Amino acid sequence: MSRRIAPHRIVLWTVVALIYAFMLVPIAITATVSFNAVDRSYFPPRGFSLHWWAMAMSPQWTGPFLFSLKLAALSAIATAILGLPLGLALRRPAFAGRGVLLALIMGPLVLPSLVTGIALLQFLTIAGVGDWLGLPALIIGHVIICLPFMVRTLSVSLESIPRNAEIAAASLGASRLVVLREVTLPLARSGAGAGMIFAFISSFDDINLALFVARPGQQPLTVQIMQFLEYGFSPTLAALSILSLLVPLALVAVFGRLVGIGSFIYQDHGHA
Amino acid sequence: MPDPALELRGLTKRYGAGVVVGPIDLTVQPGEFVTLLGPSGCGKTTTLNMIAGFVAPDAGSVHLAGRHVETLPPFRRDLGVVFQDYALFPHRTVAENIGFGLRMRRIARQEVARRVDEAMQMVRLDGLGDRRPGQLSGGQRQRVALARALVIRPSLLLLDEPLSNLDLKLREEMRIEISTLQRRLGIATVFVTHDQDEALTMSDRIAVMQGGSIEQIGAAREIYEAPASAFVATFIGTTNLVRGTVASATGGTLLLTTTAGPARIAGPGHYPAGAAARIVIRPERMKLAKPPEVPACATAWPAQVIRLIYLGGRTEIHLRLQDGSTAVSYVVNEGSIRWREGDTVAAWFRPEDAWLLPS
Amino acid sequence: MTLSRARNGGAVYLLAAIPAGFLLVFFVLPILMLLSASVLKSEDMVPVAQLTAENFTTLLSHKLYLDAILRTLGIGVTVGALVIILGYPLAYVLTRTRSRWQPLLVALALSPLLASVIVRTYGWWVLFNRDGAINGFLQTMGLIKAPLLLLPSTAVIIVGLAHALLPYGILTLMAALNGVNPNLERAAMSLGAGRLRTFASVTLPLTSSGVIGGFLLAFGVAIGAYATPAILGGPGTQTMATLIYSFMMTLLDWSLGSAMGVILLASSFAVLALTMLAGRRSAS
Repeated sequence: MSRRIAPHRIVLWTVVALIYAFMLVPIAITATVSFNAVDRSYFPPRGFSLHWWAMAMSPQWTGPFLFSLKLAALSAIATAILGLPLGLALRRPAFAGRGVLLALIMGPLVLPSLVTGIALLQFLTIAGVGDWLGLPALIIGHVIICLPFMVRTLSVSLESIPRNAEIAAASLGASRLVVLREVTLPLARSGAGAGMIFAFISSFDDINLALFVARPGQQPLTVQIMQFLEYGFSPTLAALSILSLLVPLALVAVFGRLVGIGSFIYQDHGHA
Repeated sequence: MPDPALELRGLTKRYGAGVVVGPIDLTVQPGEFVTLLGPSGCGKTTTLNMIAGFVAPDAGSVHLAGRHVETLPPFRRDLGVVFQDYALFPHRTVAENIGFGLRMRRIARQEVARRVDEAMQMVRLDGLGDRRPGQLSGGQRQRVALARALVIRPSLLLLDEPLSNLDLKLREEMRIEISTLQRRLGIATVFVTHDQDEALTMSDRIAVMQGGSIEQIGAAREIYEAPASAFVATFIGTTNLVRGTVASATGGTLLLTTTAGPARIAGPGHYPAGAAARIVIRPERMKLAKPPEVPACATAWPAQVIRLIYLGGRTEIHLRLQDGSTAVSYVVNEGSIRWREGDTVAAWFRPEDAWLLPS
Repeated sequence: MTLSRARNGGAVYLLAAIPAGFLLVFFVLPILMLLSASVLKSEDMVPVAQLTAENFTTLLSHKLYLDAILRTLGIGVTVGALVIILGYPLAYVLTRTRSRWQPLLVALALSPLLASVIVRTYGWWVLFNRDGAINGFLQTMGLIKAPLLLLPSTAVIIVGLAHALLPYGILTLMAALNGVNPNLERAAMSLGAGRLRTFASVTLPLTSSGVIGGFLLAFGVAIGAYATPAILGGPGTQTMATLIYSFMMTLLDWSLGSAMGVILLASSFAVLALTMLAGRRSAS
């Protein structure tokens, strides 16, 4: 009996392959371009040189790179700290102001982060705390745009805690604080972990908001790259872009499975 | 002689290194109602899916009315399928659901409307044509699924456990309804279920499946009274199964020794002396009596009554045999029950009431 | 079953008050300030207490600005459509295939989300610019003599944005397709509907809310995008985002910037309203 692959399958998979190519080729191009021997972003690359990678790791760039890492880490932690009380509060199915709270948290998800950025810039300047621009303002801005993800992943995690676990603990004599510490929080760990990963990546990759609330000397990598693009498309920038891709990749690869990140991704976009 | 409605030859489906189904050989004659009966995981639904064309077989062939169809997609096979979850199109009305297959066959609109009305009357859904599936009860949805499959007058009807989502009374009603419809329309049918009552009630023939193969295929009576394997014997109804060794074979009767006592079984003897075998006795064939009352050539085993379960029409009597094993006897309730817990009795049966299976 | 919920309730409010307050102060207040700044005149970066509709009239009448607004909306619509058209086949295959590579393929499809927009847009620039790969290829093949000026242009911005937002569309469509009972497609096929017919009569209608949702999501993100139009566009292809940047950082006319921000905000709200409307319709 012949086992041919049906023609409709071939058509479908061809289309799919082309779309994958469309998605991944530009990133691959960025990577290859960084190996050019000349100071231009030619593709196919002319010559081969690691010169630009060396440049990418020079102090001029390690500064912003480390700054971005620091910013992302601090933002992730701050988001977790602020998100946890919100996640716990939202477990209650209906209370006065729940809708408003939810809108408050999810608002930044709906609005362009650009708008959040310029609003924050204007607000801080007029409120007289213009010197907050830079790291403090960046953290504030990133927390605002990362909170929706954190609260969502926390909610998913908290919802999966069997209600009876907490009641059982209480019946065995645990006070509310102990219940929180021994039962609730440990079980919400994966939600917090996944939320922190999302927050870290969002902060690290952000450009639209950072563009407005950064200041010279306190600029994340994305803003710095953006500015240098004005002067030309040097392969160094290509190398830096790829380097910055590796950070989120490493994060997800190392910690993703730990927090079961797959389930959160599907949950997250069930609402779009 | 006309071609069989369905013929499966060596149909096989593999998964990794193992075999999920097959090889399966099956023939369904025009107008026949054949049930694939077996526990979950036995491969009955996979077989159905291969007949329908939803799953491609790894080996073997499927023939519908004489044509090779295993390489054809489902929409070229002229089948009607009723799914376990009914699979009604939620965004279409009842009438549109039923008429779907007719519209695919480019039948004129008025004719479609006429035949849809006819189908709805046939399954007693008159007047519900404009409703959506979401507004119907489980039983009504089931009937829409049935009408949708029947209205196209397919040459083969496939039903995948269509009654398992209904409650008991409705299930019993629908069994009879489906059976009646099938007989009236004369459409060859393959019915998949794990429920033996359904199989026994509705089928012309039953194919008992386990582990991907058909253990036995035959009419209800044959399956019940002459199971070909221990699995079939225990899957259908309840059975007493006792291990024994053949002591001697005289004429048409075999004498066996068992730990429950000696046994005399009638039947075809392919068992040489010393062979191990299992004795199958249906509970309704195992009778209870005081030792002196047992007829001469019957096998009688000493037993003690350990439990009586009253089931309305009959009583199940659980016994402990002399080797410690348990046996079950059914007694029709015609008045008072003679036995009580703790009674010592003789559990007896005639040589023709039992038969042997290889060990 | 008493966990003293009544007492606990108060603690919850207290806990949530701090982050809620944070959001009020650093999110809501600034947005309100943005709204008010948009209707105030500005001098030296700071809006002064002088109400005016000037900002909006300028933006909506001056050709350059109006073009940018319309261009942005047009980009949004086109990107949304492209994301759905390209994303559907991918989502379909990813949800229907039984291959053991499926999880890997899904991860691969979503992996571009890890990269900053800059990484993704850079590659497009390399392809489309005057000395870029496409021009190089066409010239080597002898198809053109002089390099084509493909950049900067709205078309290339659309390509770049569609590329960047495709994973969002794929996620949305995958969720929608997973919600369709596979037996429905089988039922249609068993009744005689060919593959295309099954798709058109069953699959597509039942995923319509996902299609709309994906479109609106891509639209919403596309109109607020800065990096891609900045890199792939030029002075002649301004979008709302690039104009906001020049208003706020170069021209230092914060009132005008706020006004444009408000227009962008309004567009996002329109998207939100449409999304909720579509969601409500599909629930019926």
